[in-house]
Amino acid sequence: MIKRILFCCLIAGYFSSCTAVKEYEKVKINDPDMVLSTKGVDRFETNFQAYREAAAGANGGKTGGGCGCN
Amino acid sequence: MKKNLILGLFMISAAVGSAQEGDSTTTYKKRVLENTEVDFLASYYTQEGDNAAVSGGVGTEHLTNVTPTVVVSIPLNADDVLTIDGEVSAYTSASSSNINPFDGGQPADPFVASSGASSSDTWTNLTGTYSHSSDDRNDIWSAKLAVSTEFDYFSLGFGGSYTKLFNEKNTEVSVNANVYLDNWKTIYPYELRPFENGRNGLSDGLFRRYNITGNQNYNPDFVGLDKTNRNSYSVGLGFSQILSERLQGSLALDVVQQQGLLSTPFQRVYFKDVEDSFIQNFQLADDIERLPDTRFKIAAGGRLNYYINETFVVRTYYRYYTDDWGIRSNTASIEVPIKIAQKFTLYPSYRYYDQTAADYFAPYEEHLSTEEFYTSDYDLSEFNANQYGFGVTYTDIFTQFHLWQFGLKSIDLKYHYYERNTGLKANIIAAGFKFILD
Repeated sequence: MIKRILFCCLIAGYFSSCTAVKEYEKVKINDPDMVLSTKGVDRFETNFQAYREAAAGANGGKTGGGCGCN
Repeated sequence: MKKNLILGLFMISAAVGSAQEGDSTTTYKKRVLENTEVDFLASYYTQEGDNAAVSGGVGTEHLTNVTPTVVVSIPLNADDVLTIDGEVSAYTSASSSNINPFDGGQPADPFVASSGASSSDTWTNLTGTYSHSSDDRNDIWSAKLAVSTEFDYFSLGFGGSYTKLFNEKNTEVSVNANVYLDNWKTIYPYELRPFENGRNGLSDGLFRRYNITGNQNYNPDFVGLDKTNRNSYSVGLGFSQILSERLQGSLALDVVQQQGLLSTPFQRVYFKDVEDSFIQNFQLADDIERLPDTRFKIAAGGRLNYYINETFVVRTYYRYYTDDWGIRSNTASIEVPIKIAQKFTLYPSYRYYDQTAADYFAPYEEHLSTEEFYTSDYDLSEFNANQYGFGVTYTDIFTQFHLWQFGLKSIDLKYHYYERNTGLKANIIAAGFKFILD
């Protein structure tokens, strides 16, 4: 697991070294479908998965507690 | 002289222009949220399966759930937003109806829903979130308070987050922490209640009303749970990065520690080294599931979104999960939004999920009574699942349609079909209507 986390940190470092995209170049990035979070209507899907599956977290949903689920 | 005058005027005008530009950047501040937004959301969920945990891994898992939700986001000023999220989840469940399978109008049977008090219930949640953004919008703080309640359960949750943007808002890092303090009302399977802590056992009215078949000397060694609280503590780290004009990604890490009652008090277990007893077609419980009182979880996930062209976008997600109950899991999903017209977008999607079994899971009649921990809840079994989805969104940035003072900004409709290789099948339909106050 520690190796995986270190790998993620390495990827993060690589990402942040990219050249900055200027505000006026963000037309495509600012497209509503490019957001990195889920939409409000997707919350129900995330919730039922938290009930029916053992895994939770790292998806913007609940990680346990507060929902009677795992 | 004339040249000097022109040069002087130019320098003065340049200086004034520069000062005005400086002023404009310090005085103009775009509001974080321009107007109050109201989201009306709802879902309808239904599932079928034959591995109900309430009846020890065999029995109907039929369940329906309707969830109306309202989310109101209010700009308190240019920097602060208050969000109130109210959700009601009303369900009917065949398996939870069999907490007491003897109160229906038909013979008790794990594959038939009982019609008693436990067959339906309502889960209610209210969450308030306050967020504050700095003047340059590069620092965002938020605090959250949540309250949930259900017939056997009450939860108080609170948390906070901090987000920092830098590198011309190309890079974002965040940290969040949440605490949930849950409290359960211990509701046991109906036939075990007479055996709790030296109560009247087989002299109970249930056993006078019905004949026991199979092993008639039904005498479970049942001890009630001594903990009724469950505390969950989580810390999350997030990182997102714009990689090019068309590509951006994010990484997230959640670490969760849970303590207290982590089993469900009304889920039965049947041991293979204990003789079986029945009332009608229903096998009487040997015990309830028993699970450790701590659990440590780690989930690490990443998203990568790519803008192909004005019609197509690709959204991908992967997550690895592990915990100290022996579960490891992979989740991968892809969604391809397709803009078919100025106002309409389609959302086909696919999601794959797999997990290994918890160390304490075994199917019906495979646990031994000598084990310390045991469960036959198939949500903790080894399985993989495929989910297919389709959605459509209508967006009107001019909010031409009005309802009172609210303009309709968007409508989202989504459908997902979920199928597990253990036999569980589920369908979920969700809808969302976003309004903006004029």
